[in-house]
Amino acid sequence: MIWLAWRQFRIQLLVTLAAIAALAIYLVFFGRGVHHFYDTQIAGCTGETCANAQEVFNDKYFNESMLIGAALLFLPALIGCFWGAPLIARELETGTHRLVWNQSVTRTRWLAVKLGFIALFSLAVTGLLSLLLSWAAQPIDKLFGSRFGPMTFDSRDIAPLGYAVFAFILGTTIGLLIRRTLPAMAVTLAIFIAVQIAMPTLIRPHLMSPITSTVAFTSDFLENKQIDGIGSSGTSGGSSGDTTPVGIFGYNKPGAWVLSSPFHALLKADGSAFTRVDMRSCMTGEQTRDGTCLASKNVHFNITYHPASRYWTFQWIETAIFLALALALAAVCFWRIPRGFS
Amino acid sequence: MTPILETEGLSKRYGRKPALSDCTLTLPPGRIVGLVGPNGAGKSTLLGLACGLIRPTAGSITVLGERPAANATQLARVGFVAQDTPVYSGLSVADHLRLGARLNRSWDQQLAEQRIKQLGLDPAQRAGRLSGGQRAQLALTIAAAKRPELLIFDEPVASLDPLARRAFLRNLLEFVAELDVSVVLSSHVLSDLEQVCDYLVVLVASRVQLAGDVQDLLAEHYLLSGSRADLAGLPATIEVIQVEHTPLRSTAVVRCTTPIPRAILDAEPVSLEQMTMAYLTRAVEMSEPSFSTKALEVQR
Amino acid sequence: MLWLTWRQFRLQTQITLAALAALSIYLIIQGRGIHDFYDTQIVGCQGDACSNARILFQDKYQAPVALVGALLLGIPAIIGIFWGAPLIARELETGTQRLVWNQSVTRSHWLAVKLTLIALFSLAVTGLLSLLLSWAAQPFDKIFGSRFAAMTFDSRDVAPLGYAVFAFVLGTTIGLLIRRSLPAMALTLAIFAAVQIVMPTAIRPNLMSPITASEALTAESIERAHGFGFSSADGDGGGSTPMSLFGYTKPGAWVISSGRLPILKADGSAFTQADNKACFTGSPEKDFQCLAAKNLHFDLTYHPASRYWTFQWIETAIFLALALALAGLCFWRLPRTTA
Repeated sequence: MIWLAWRQFRIQLLVTLAAIAALAIYLVFFGRGVHHFYDTQIAGCTGETCANAQEVFNDKYFNESMLIGAALLFLPALIGCFWGAPLIARELETGTHRLVWNQSVTRTRWLAVKLGFIALFSLAVTGLLSLLLSWAAQPIDKLFGSRFGPMTFDSRDIAPLGYAVFAFILGTTIGLLIRRTLPAMAVTLAIFIAVQIAMPTLIRPHLMSPITSTVAFTSDFLENKQIDGIGSSGTSGGSSGDTTPVGIFGYNKPGAWVLSSPFHALLKADGSAFTRVDMRSCMTGEQTRDGTCLASKNVHFNITYHPASRYWTFQWIETAIFLALALALAAVCFWRIPRGFS
Repeated sequence: MTPILETEGLSKRYGRKPALSDCTLTLPPGRIVGLVGPNGAGKSTLLGLACGLIRPTAGSITVLGERPAANATQLARVGFVAQDTPVYSGLSVADHLRLGARLNRSWDQQLAEQRIKQLGLDPAQRAGRLSGGQRAQLALTIAAAKRPELLIFDEPVASLDPLARRAFLRNLLEFVAELDVSVVLSSHVLSDLEQVCDYLVVLVASRVQLAGDVQDLLAEHYLLSGSRADLAGLPATIEVIQVEHTPLRSTAVVRCTTPIPRAILDAEPVSLEQMTMAYLTRAVEMSEPSFSTKALEVQR
Repeated sequence: MLWLTWRQFRLQTQITLAALAALSIYLIIQGRGIHDFYDTQIVGCQGDACSNARILFQDKYQAPVALVGALLLGIPAIIGIFWGAPLIARELETGTQRLVWNQSVTRSHWLAVKLTLIALFSLAVTGLLSLLLSWAAQPFDKIFGSRFAAMTFDSRDVAPLGYAVFAFVLGTTIGLLIRRSLPAMALTLAIFAAVQIVMPTAIRPNLMSPITASEALTAESIERAHGFGFSSADGDGGGSTPMSLFGYTKPGAWVISSGRLPILKADGSAFTQADNKACFTGSPEKDFQCLAAKNLHFDLTYHPASRYWTFQWIETAIFLALALALAGLCFWRLPRTTA
């Protein structure tokens, strides 16, 4: 049975191996370039030189790393479409299931070998690419990327493994239920893309309950570019009257995933809103002085976030979810396949 | 001995359309069973049920004493060649033999290779480029080389020309004798089956009309001719299968398990074709009178 | 022949129309939200409130705009794979070409009707979505996006039309040559993805020769860059280290030269750290004015904003021409195909 699985999958396997080899070599070169640049020009740099070197670094490597990330996001969709959907649908469509299921191998075993063989290969392929990309892009992610960004999270470390196995078994199941290759491929693609959009936007933020904590405003926020700005905007309370609340825009907590909107209202020690009239005395135009002045007023704001330390927990939870979904779908296949096909 | 196939109230419907209704049948081992009926009668459904590709809606079926396709051992005991003889168009003839060898513990490689050589097939040829007859032979080879106890063929010769058809059937007979297997094969062409089978099942409009040993059946059926009145007044022991009236005389195919009373009528032995046609015509007239032309497909 | 094309394509048409309707409604809702936000909170805003409103604007709409943009990049690929590749390959695979090519319609006529109808439908679908996205994202692109950025350029205005027709005819041609649906689909995807990567990176910058001009260093141009100074690659920070602008952007234009632009003095020699020292007081505003007064410049290679529509038309024309050439190949090959 393993021979047949190999024989029928041979061309796909060889084409994939060739493509993977090319991509892996490219990634190794890319990664060496990235690491070399980082080690020689950014690690241990100081002051403004640092920011400028980062600018060149960004210009040189960022787009390329996004493109490879996008390819890795797309790879599971390809596996589901081209390996999953035709696996059973094509046998049913050409009638060859009547040949192969009448050899002395039960349909369950036939399915188990096919699913196991190709799922393992999918794991190996995505695993290798993910490993290489995670290594190659590591300095870029450290400087520019949020590890929780949807494109980054899904294309690094172990998350791609869950997606790949899930997409493959999703395609197989849909092929088994629809019994026609082309429609099954289209439906697989549509469902998988929907899952890929829904997961980071609707589901992932709630996988663990986020932490809400109070951050005290300190004078170094502005200097370290940890916030994008202070003030008010149209949505934060209308015109710039005296009672308009003032807040922080775009607070950036390194490594963490901030869920609340980019506007965080500043609060006084007693919890009441910090307004324009309160801030007036700190508006001289000189950034450093204003920062110190505001800090002395003992103001704070609330943020809702997932701390950086949860990154690996999230990676494991998400991988586990998709592996569990894949198992459930595989169970549907194993339940369905001994039942009749006319 | 265990019957090769035993069904009890077996039914299969697709949505609301019945494909096989209330089929109760016992097929003895060691025979070549012919399953005959017009297109759409339910032959493929019955054979699909027998090899486990289809699950029944109601009733039970056992093949060689076990549920079809229940396990690998059961699968090994039954060889099946599906309608239009599917093969993997991308795999070569040799690949198909390798497939058989890897997927069947009881595989007879020598037999397979010998047959391929006899047939003059090129092992390197892709199966997609074989002719219809060659494909049927390849499928037959794979089914035979797994050395089953029962071989099932669904319309094996439907797509073959008359010459290839005769060659295929003769070849089949030789090899059945050689391998000592029971065979079930279906066809909508009676003449194909007449040459080879010694047991007959007639299936029309999703129901079994007749089943039995060919010799026994022929011995029980008669062709009666006489006037309309003569035929109307037959004793109850004689079952009239089908009557045809012409202005001068009427003829009837009848079934009678006891010797026929000679006095009244002119009783002649019936041919296999006459008998089968009688059952087909009756069934078609009963189910869909307007569609009786369907029976015409069953012809010499 | 029209009827057959419609009958065989009916299900795809209906599904596509349903998806198109859903996406159009989504785009209209998002577009109204974007325009409303822009008109009420960004147009005519002042000072701080302006940049703060932009942060909120970006946070709210960046993901939807990027998502629909990515979808519009993917649609031609999907058209090529699911409509193009199986068009002839599937007939050859199932043997139905023996039926259809033996009706009283020539193969060329059969192909012409199929290609034209589905190409027109592809044009209509991508055209509508591109129109809606270009309208909806217009305020957003104005503030944050470069119109020449790979993702933006390919998913706005007329460019998607060329890609869609090209992908469709590419798929059809590959299907005709390979004669098997699945491999044809895979190959179509691989080639089209390669084209989509090569076009913006290797070909588009050279469609017209870029302008190289020297720009004066002003307070304004320093502010438009992400940084001013030197990086460790330029030197150790000693007096002879040349100074550069980092990450310079020119509104609406497509800057070709890399992230570092060396600053030059009026005589063309490098402006160094030693020269810079005089302007280094610590107060950025004062420093910039001091630098601007030194009559410095830098060389910039770019395509001006005014070329945007020329580029759009050139690229669309290229892909339409490629599609025509491939269609020509199909019409030449089809009568010679053994059934």
